[in-house]
Amino acid sequence: MISTRVKIALAVLMFFSISAALSWAQMASNMDADSAAIKQCVAAWEDAWNRHDAHATAMAYVEDGDFSSTTGVPSHGWKELEVHYNEIFTTFLKDAHRTDTVRGIRFLGPGIASVDIDWQMTGAKTRDGQDAPNRKGLLTWIVTKNNGQWRITIYHESVF
Amino acid sequence: MNSFQSKTALTVLLCLTLGAAIFRAQTASNRDADKAAIKQLVANFADTWNSHDAHGLAMHYVEDGDFSSVKAEPSHGRKELEEHYMTIFTTFLKNAHTTDTVRTIRFLAPDLANVDIDWLVTDPAAPGGVLRKGLLTWVVTKRNGEWKIVVYHEQAF
Repeated sequence: MISTRVKIALAVLMFFSISAALSWAQMASNMDADSAAIKQCVAAWEDAWNRHDAHATAMAYVEDGDFSSTTGVPSHGWKELEVHYNEIFTTFLKDAHRTDTVRGIRFLGPGIASVDIDWQMTGAKTRDGQDAPNRKGLLTWIVTKNNGQWRITIYHESVF
Repeated sequence: MNSFQSKTALTVLLCLTLGAAIFRAQTASNRDADKAAIKQLVANFADTWNSHDAHGLAMHYVEDGDFSSVKAEPSHGRKELEEHYMTIFTTFLKNAHTTDTVRTIRFLAPDLANVDIDWLVTDPAAPGGVLRKGLLTWVVTKRNGEWKIVVYHEQAF
């Protein structure tokens, strides 16, 4: 015969095991949904970039977002970001097209993630208007979830 | 509102204002201390790098830290990190010296920050003495009171 005390202990153990399993499943499910939403954020940004829409490209950032170019030149906040994108879309990248592929997502805390993205570009010009070789490299973003929407907080890009 | 109620309301308002001011001062003071500690991490990392101490460098990361090279070749976790540093210090960077200067720190949460670091690697045998320069971008976190690297990226230009 199993004593009452053992039965209670087993019931408590079962309760905590089920709760932990449910909580884990919920977390995994949220993480899957967030990963999908982050990939969607990357795709939407890529689409805005390929339309050469400086305003929409800037709006994919949080209002005080930080951009840093391949040579470490910064732009801060929506206004500067839009000016930056407008400048590149009307000069050496006016015929450029990019392809972005998410390589890895690492969650850093609730609503914060680091995203590595392989990028390739065709159609770029040199600053003096000559055809430039195709470019490729890595984008590294910090994205944050604001009011249910993932946005770019910090953007770095490298070329190799 | 009678005089007693007015006094009580004023006292409560004063307490709340004082509380908020103390909280804000405390937060600013903690943030200054954290910024100093993050700069110290960067300085310690550069010292360890310049000693070509592969194990010491890996220990500046959290246990499951991520490194990505200038060509985006990854190393994950302390074992791989130590192997990576061991390889570079016994081959093409065996006479190299790094100088790392913090450019900006942006807090993402109280115990989480992004750090941009200007980076210069020199080697007497390199043309002009400069082997590489660019930007390091780290995500750092505070674990048990100590700041460690979670994600490390580097770009050369």
